[in-house]
Amino acid sequence: MKGLFFGILSLWLIISKAALAGDIEAGKARYAQNCGNCHGPGGMGLASYPKIKGKEVPYLVDRLKTYRAGTKVGPNSDLMIMMAQPLSDVEIANLAAYLNAQK
Amino acid sequence: MIKKSKLLSAAVVATAALMASPSHADTMNTPNISAMSIMNGLENPWDMAFTNGGDMFVTEKCKGLSVKTSSGSVHALAGMKGSKGYASTFNDLFCSGQAGMMGVALDPNFNKNRRIYVASTSDKYHGSGCKTNFEKCDGNIIMRMEVSKDMKSVSNRVDIVKDIQYKPFESNHPFGGPGAHNGNRLRFGPEGYLWATTGDRHRGVVPQSPKLLGGNVLRIDTDGKAHPGNKPPRGFDKRMYTYGHRNVQGIDFRPSDGRAFTAEHGPWQNDEITALVNGGNGGWDPRPNVGGRGDCPDKYCGYMPNQKEGMLPAKRAQFMPMSDTRFSDLMPPAWNNNGLSQGTGSAAFLKGSNWGYWEGRMAVGIMGIGFGGTPSGMRIDVVDIAKDGQSIKSVIHMPTGLTKRFRGLRLGPDGALYAAVDEGEIYKITATAK
Repeated sequence: MKGLFFGILSLWLIISKAALAGDIEAGKARYAQNCGNCHGPGGMGLASYPKIKGKEVPYLVDRLKTYRAGTKVGPNSDLMIMMAQPLSDVEIANLAAYLNAQK
Repeated sequence: MIKKSKLLSAAVVATAALMASPSHADTMNTPNISAMSIMNGLENPWDMAFTNGGDMFVTEKCKGLSVKTSSGSVHALAGMKGSKGYASTFNDLFCSGQAGMMGVALDPNFNKNRRIYVASTSDKYHGSGCKTNFEKCDGNIIMRMEVSKDMKSVSNRVDIVKDIQYKPFESNHPFGGPGAHNGNRLRFGPEGYLWATTGDRHRGVVPQSPKLLGGNVLRIDTDGKAHPGNKPPRGFDKRMYTYGHRNVQGIDFRPSDGRAFTAEHGPWQNDEITALVNGGNGGWDPRPNVGGRGDCPDKYCGYMPNQKEGMLPAKRAQFMPMSDTRFSDLMPPAWNNNGLSQGTGSAAFLKGSNWGYWEGRMAVGIMGIGFGGTPSGMRIDVVDIAKDGQSIKSVIHMPTGLTKRFRGLRLGPDGALYAAVDEGEIYKITATAK
């Protein structure tokens, strides 16, 4: 029983870590669906849309979750809220991992 | 067996004949298109202007004006506040959001007078205005300068238009940051006058205002004075050729008759190509409490009835039309991008036989804005506009092989189409007809 508990705990920790770390390739694919139209290739920033490449993962995750919750941060918030609302926690982690890896 | 062989032979002959005959595309004289990057590493390149000898002037929205000479050397000429390495720096020129240094045009007599015209955001003429979003704010200007013969500097700056409206603060709208909707494309018309586009700057009263410069196409001389033939309604600023626009960033003149056509951003519906009429009304009126609308966020209805999520573009258009038919002086669009807004950023008519049967058609750069279920659609369209300017005969996508945010298009003296993209590059798009 104890072994099963630790087994489940270990599995949960592995899954959580994977989710937290994010999958760069999956993030790249998700980024290509919506984000690149405005933020440009690799999050370079285009026109009035800010550069988001190379940002820290906690910052990116926090911003996306804030937008997903419908909270405004900055002048283009309505657009970002619209874009972030369908994102899952895993997708957010993947996007953050991808953007963090762009230097 | 013999019959089978004969049939096979006949099929081979027929196939060979088909292969040998010119394809439909060949008989139509469709040009072959190739695209090549000629500048990269730029920051938001916005517009280009060419000398007859092939020198290319380029604006970068937050940096300034440069020139790439026909020999390939690049000289930084006129910088904005905070930029480095420019021969001259003007501290009143700044960028914010969509605003900054944008359109550029060369005087038709450039070879003699060395004059260049540049549209930019400036804080020099704010005066007592610009304290809120709901008052006059003179923040976009048109400058005239002179380029030295060695192409390494500019001098004698004169601000020929000082009172184009600017949005100073954030508002409660999508794309709601300061600096929204400036227009600012500059082109010389066939009669030698300067045409300048302006935007509504997210202020409801601006496009239909008789006095505020915003949401207009201006036709002025090289000192900034009105063309004597402009016919805006009585009491309107005489510099206006047309009014009632949202944000015109594409303008060019049809080679066959010299008529001005604009390409204009829609809000979340209806990008438009419009044949201009002297004194005409684009039909954009985002004021609250008119046209059946009530109050709107920050007195601007441009993104209503629903600012926060996608909805059917046609329903948006019904509530907040780009071209409102209640205006008797409305200039109806020739094309509305199938009811979508994807960001028509610029326009250039294709001139020269190298463009084959596309010669005389309008190339339109589309930046790609994919909100609310609208496909992004980054591309250059080639539009065949009807002679009367009231409709189009066809629209096709130019096969450039590029998926970029096409910000500025300009035909070069070599007959190639040049495209500035937000990704920081300028492409030369070459057409070869048979």
